[in-house]
Amino acid sequence: MAEDLVLELKKLIINTLKLEEIGPGDIQDDAPLFGDGLGLDSIDALELVVALEKTYNVFIPDSEVGKKVFRSVNALADFVKANRA
Amino acid sequence: MKYEETEIRVRFNEVDSWGVVWHGHYIAWFEAGRMALLRKFQLQPQDFAQMGYIAPVVDLKCSYKEPARLDEEIIIRTTVLKPTKAALTFQFEVLRKRDRKLLATGEETQVLQALDGRLLYYIPPDLKKRLQNLFNYLEVPGFPA
Repeated sequence: MAEDLVLELKKLIINTLKLEEIGPGDIQDDAPLFGDGLGLDSIDALELVVALEKTYNVFIPDSEVGKKVFRSVNALADFVKANRA
Repeated sequence: MKYEETEIRVRFNEVDSWGVVWHGHYIAWFEAGRMALLRKFQLQPQDFAQMGYIAPVVDLKCSYKEPARLDEEIIIRTTVLKPTKAALTFQFEVLRKRDRKLLATGEETQVLQALDGRLLYYIPPDLKKRLQNLFNYLEVPGFPA
């Protein structure tokens, strides 16, 4: 079940950010999403926050929380599991 | 969607050795257009700072169509796109006043940071209220309920 959520989140990231040249298999479960890992930026974070709220009804207020939640897809999955409505 | 129009005249120090306005000055013109609009709604940088925020520019583009020349009167048209996330995207058109020829178009996106450096993922209610006045003025659909 947890693995399904990880895959689901990878697809959500790819679709939301229109990462056309990347497949779910290219995103490592433990790699950072911002900076050195997938290399996402602040606008990407804002887009993802909207998509996560729409899809899972989870609320990430700012980058202080975001830097923990977006540490990796695994961290994001843990956050969604703990907070989804 | 409406545009706010701001007029300027091309100054001597804005023209390069080819006799046309240097490309970087258009960005300052965008800023002049944006400030003229935001001043009406107490949304200038100092107003943001008073509320505890800054709004850094994270994306900027400009397309050049025709050159502007010394002493020409210029109209900067500024509007804002319907917000879909916690960012503001302004669009600009630069026209030559005498024939309303389109000289350049531009777009600029700003995000919202608290003074302690946190990037805000949602627009706070106090700011949303002022921004809603701006959207109403420009006849842009505002924030989703």
